[in-house]
Amino acid sequence: MSCGVIVASGKYFCCNTVIMEAQRILEYLTEVEEAAEDILANKQQIVDLDKKRNMNREALNALKNELVSEEKVQVCFGNMFIKFPKAKTKEMIQQDQEQLDEEIHKLRNVMKDQLNHLNNLQGKPELTGYNLSPLSSDEVKAINHLLKR
Amino acid sequence: MAAQMATTKVPEVRDITRIERIGAHSHIRGLGLDDALEPRQVSQGMVGQLASRRAAGLILEMIKDGHIAGRAVLIAGQPGTGKTAIAMGIAQSLGPDTPFTAMAGSEIFSLEMSKTEALSQAFRKAIGVRIKEETEIIEGEVVEIQIDRPATGTGAKVGKLTLKTTEMETIYDLGSKMIESLSKERVQAGDVITIDKATGKISKLGRSFTRARDYDAMGAQTQFVQCPEGELQKRKEVVHTVSLHEIDVINSRTQGFLALFSGDTGEIKAEVREQINAKVSEWREEGKAEIIPGVLFIDEVHMLDMECFSFLNRALESDLSPVLIMATNRGITNIRGTNYQSPHGIPIDLLDRLLIIATSPYTEKETRQILKIRCEEEDVELSEEAHTVLTRIGQETSLRYAIQLISTAGLVCRKRRGTEVQVEDIKRVYSLFLDEARSSQYMKEYQDSFLFNETTLDTSKPMTV
Repeated sequence: MSCGVIVASGKYFCCNTVIMEAQRILEYLTEVEEAAEDILANKQQIVDLDKKRNMNREALNALKNELVSEEKVQVCFGNMFIKFPKAKTKEMIQQDQEQLDEEIHKLRNVMKDQLNHLNNLQGKPELTGYNLSPLSSDEVKAINHLLKR
Repeated sequence: MAAQMATTKVPEVRDITRIERIGAHSHIRGLGLDDALEPRQVSQGMVGQLASRRAAGLILEMIKDGHIAGRAVLIAGQPGTGKTAIAMGIAQSLGPDTPFTAMAGSEIFSLEMSKTEALSQAFRKAIGVRIKEETEIIEGEVVEIQIDRPATGTGAKVGKLTLKTTEMETIYDLGSKMIESLSKERVQAGDVITIDKATGKISKLGRSFTRARDYDAMGAQTQFVQCPEGELQKRKEVVHTVSLHEIDVINSRTQGFLALFSGDTGEIKAEVREQINAKVSEWREEGKAEIIPGVLFIDEVHMLDMECFSFLNRALESDLSPVLIMATNRGITNIRGTNYQSPHGIPIDLLDRLLIIATSPYTEKETRQILKIRCEEEDVELSEEAHTVLTRIGQETSLRYAIQLISTAGLVCRKRRGTEVQVEDIKRVYSLFLDEARSSQYMKEYQDSFLFNETTLDTSKPMTV
């Protein structure tokens, strides 16, 4: 009789640990997926920002080369075209460009931390050396044939 | 069966440019420790030597964490007890990023180079410098190139270049310089190119897969690549690990960088080294470089002489110093070039700085295991009895001799078209090849019939090496 009770309670205990284990795995996987999702989202954002950056660059080129004679140019805001003085437009786009550059730079640095976090979660070794500041181009040139082995 | 397989395999092997040969320690893939640094009895090619492997594991962890530098370890033990195997195990577990330099003690004796120069080169080969290169590149598939030539024939050309990735597409205005380099690289629509933003250098990666069917006739060297993903303007970061010695060599002015490839580097001036040290520590302060103290392994360290030992004493105190691992099979013996006796043939003052790991002879069971691993490595199948016989031979003569017999017995077996090495094969090679003990026995018996036997061997005086 008592034997049966022990077995039953043992079984119950076993069942409980299985559930807890499953719960733990689920939590872990969620965490990994979330980390990976963050990275992918940032990647997409960089692409979008770069798209905007390239469009701005094209616009600046157009202002410089094709619309030389124009005094005022038509600028598209949302879904509306507005006539705007050229110099003002140029300044506006340049400002936007600087902001985009900065934002992309920031995102790239954030992504490094996120990737390390993901690797950490997955038990993979961290990327080493990517937090170093880069060599200047002169220095790279000096030891170039070592690097291009 | 085995013979057939071997013959059919030959043409395949010829295609591969780098054939990996089976070396004495090629079966070793690590130290065989678990996560808690406890040694497993048989793992990663390592067998037995639990205590020494655990000790080596502790040192390995410290090297990995970068906690110790300028320390020295001595692995001491009888011949054939796995000293080199442990060192190789450390090397394997360190991974590709930590420099590991292995040399034999006698390598430093050369006519072209002083002993201390050879040693300091070895020291500097074992120190890595991690640096990062960062470039902004534009990477994309060329959709269209449009070049406008001025009607007069002279004057600046202008043009437009359309590039795309899987996500986006944009138009770049081209100046005459870019047009020139584009036509120099023969870039055309469908090529995947990168443009270095800082230098404007263009490099062709290949042709896009989507254009693979454009022409039927194409050069053999045409390489097809995927259209790049993501943004057009990318940041490329590459981390390099170079050794201090390599930087020394390219900065050693008389030699130039070609010296690195010819292998003959000659001596490097002390000033060059000082300059490099200064530069590297400057980089380190600016956050541009990390020093990775690696491992210098000197096998047969008793072959070094007094000068070298005092050099080592001094070199270990430098702040740019790797972890030094030495191995010796000597007991109390003369320090080379002197009449002083010292344990392991190493001066006491240096011994005092060392952590000493001892290896002990293998037991019968361990010998059996090692022979089994070696058989797998050399692709020789061994019958149970032959394995027992070989283990016995390994116990009574030496492990190395027994390992030598594996491949020779395998050959004999293949010759008689057998699949498995039998006791007879072992017996045959055992009679063909003498081990050290039998050979000296033979010498003693037939001493008189050899040439130059008049010089009586004076065995009372120890050999000076």
